[in-house]
Amino acid sequence: MLHYRTFMIAAVAAASLPFAAANAQSDGSIITLGAAVSLTGKYTTNGEHTKRGYDLAVKKINEAGGVTVGDETYKIEIKYYDDESTPARGAELAERLIQQDGIKFMLGPYSSGMTKAIAPVTEEHGVPMVEANGASRSLFTNNWKYLFATLSTSEQYLTGAITLVAKNADDLGKEPEEIKVAMAFENDPFSQDVREGVLDDMKEYGMEAVIDDQLPRELNDMTATLTKVKALKPDLLIVSGHSKGAATAIRQINELKVNFPVLAMTHCDSADIIGKFGDGAEHTLCATQWAPTMSYSDELFGSAQDFAKLFEETYGYAPPYQAAESAAAVQVYADAFERAGELDSKKVRDALAATDMMTFYGPIKFDQAGKNIAKPMALYQVLDGEYKVVWPSGVADTEAVVPRPST
Amino acid sequence: MSKSRRPLLGHLAILAIGIAAPLVFPAWQSQMAELWLFIVFALTWDLVGGQMGYNSFGNVVFLGVGMYACVVTQVGLFYQVSAYNDARGGGATIFTFDPRQYFEGLAIGLPVGAVLAALTAAFLGSLVLGMRGHYFAICTLGLGVAAGELANGWEWIGAGSGMVPPNPPGAIGDLSRFYYYLAFALAIVTFLGLRWLYTTRFRFAINAIRDNEDKAEAMGLRTTQIKTTAWVIAAFFLGIAGGILGNLKRFIDPIDTAFAGATFGVWMVLMAVLGGKGTLWGPVIGAILFQVFKEASWTYLLGWQRVALGLLIVLIVVFFPQGIMGFLRERFPAWFGHRVEGVKDMDAVEETKAR
Repeated sequence: MLHYRTFMIAAVAAASLPFAAANAQSDGSIITLGAAVSLTGKYTTNGEHTKRGYDLAVKKINEAGGVTVGDETYKIEIKYYDDESTPARGAELAERLIQQDGIKFMLGPYSSGMTKAIAPVTEEHGVPMVEANGASRSLFTNNWKYLFATLSTSEQYLTGAITLVAKNADDLGKEPEEIKVAMAFENDPFSQDVREGVLDDMKEYGMEAVIDDQLPRELNDMTATLTKVKALKPDLLIVSGHSKGAATAIRQINELKVNFPVLAMTHCDSADIIGKFGDGAEHTLCATQWAPTMSYSDELFGSAQDFAKLFEETYGYAPPYQAAESAAAVQVYADAFERAGELDSKKVRDALAATDMMTFYGPIKFDQAGKNIAKPMALYQVLDGEYKVVWPSGVADTEAVVPRPST
Repeated sequence: MSKSRRPLLGHLAILAIGIAAPLVFPAWQSQMAELWLFIVFALTWDLVGGQMGYNSFGNVVFLGVGMYACVVTQVGLFYQVSAYNDARGGGATIFTFDPRQYFEGLAIGLPVGAVLAALTAAFLGSLVLGMRGHYFAICTLGLGVAAGELANGWEWIGAGSGMVPPNPPGAIGDLSRFYYYLAFALAIVTFLGLRWLYTTRFRFAINAIRDNEDKAEAMGLRTTQIKTTAWVIAAFFLGIAGGILGNLKRFIDPIDTAFAGATFGVWMVLMAVLGGKGTLWGPVIGAILFQVFKEASWTYLLGWQRVALGLLIVLIVVFFPQGIMGFLRERFPAWFGHRVEGVKDMDAVEETKAR
């Protein structure tokens, strides 16, 4: 009997809970942004970086007095849900944020797949979404009007690596068109799009792909690919599989003692390959949207270096670019709110479309499709246990070491 | 009131609530649409897992097959599927569907999904339904994983990049409401279909298989054939549910949406077990409670929702091993009388929904 009664009470309580929240709205002097980010599941690490980027920008903006829209000053707040790294959940939560929580402005989730799931929802409801972590090109071919991205799209991620290898082909004792490339990409929307970009770049130089492996999600074993690398001796190995993929690649390359001239990958800094693998990460080329050493700056955060310092003080680790581009997304909103002069979704959307600003993260200006065309992609190299920008030459700290010295 | 008229009134009340719900709570309609689909998940799972005693962890295969088949049909009727999916690589082509195309695609796509799912079940069933007990359960678990990996590698349907169902034309209006009513209709049809099925000899046959398969066989039942038939019926309805779910979610990820064994696949089992295996109303009640619990915990226990869900599973197993229906039947046998599913449970459903 006791069980039964307790259960019924719990059931009634559980059933009545959601309705209590239905009327939570943003009140007069607060603008509430909505975001579904990955707090659990396979994107947890990067979801966390994303959330911290958002939070830091919100904190900083509020400390600086908030946002002035028309005659009123507003503080910014973010309402989060956990999308559990599954797209089905993301779409549902977006709808919930918009319809039940009355959110009129959305921030993006982490990863292209999640953004793909959420964008149709925000589009249907005419709610602007500024996203910082969905880089797949396919997001920008749908004629969507309410989607804006602060980052460079994924086909540009590893262009630098191909260019550098082609340029240094002499040192490898080859012509650019004789370069052999091994590719290992996780089978998810983002990595597959990076692959398309790499293939395009390779075609330009006439390079040949000797390995083209598609690896399972939540990449934690790539020995099969590495065995092939040992046998076929490519000049360049390209790996892309979010943070887990990056960590797996470095770990197993060292374990299996695979030697080849150049390694290029994505998500090095968010996987913290230097911290985890030390010397093992040396000479890796890493795609990055942003680096603390770059010479961008704005009034809110100061220079890129200042942002990095503040982030490290707050969270205890150096900011990966995922955090930086996320912080920039909030800045874009703040800027658009002020220019729109009122908090109307359509007006803010138009203001967003007209964005042309400089941030610590780089210049931001959206094209027709909503992607940021002002900021170039960059490439790090791990040199003496530090990330050094080696490409493009305009912002490079130092010359790239390609190929890596043989040991 | 005579006893025979009360169920009818109860049914009418559920119908009225179902029709009115999205109008009264427009903000909740996509979650409610999902709830109706969950009821279909639980009911179809219970047909095989509860009534027949074959615990399947692979029913999600039929959900995914239905989902992909429906969406591929929706696209394929008007465009090249490969070109449509290739456009993810940055092609400039924009694919639009006018209202006629959209509804035509859906009207053909949903049945195609259902039939393909049913055929898949017939094929797989003839292969694996010779197995029993744990062997069958583990085998179906493998089927779900394998199907996800296959879809994840198949370029034609978008491989790992997933597939986006056609963007609905503006004329369709409120998309979630449209799919809410579709899901609602499907849940009712599934429920009535199974209720009818459970009045036939077929039910005795699958119950006999559950209780003692060797004896059933000795009595002359063609067990493998009957088991496959049951799975095919479950797959048919699940296939339609998949088509609706894919369009409702608007992005099909092969592993996380279509062949999502870790979420939908497990939840099906959980909902049926929570409500009570082997009963008609049990899965319905289980699905409702589960969805309410899920939505509430996702809101109030941010980051801990999976822990809460795990706790729920433990609580169910410890305190309600027979599910809510089983518990009620044990405590209040009088409610059930000579009828298997009584009037009282329907009231419970109404109460839960009215909250």
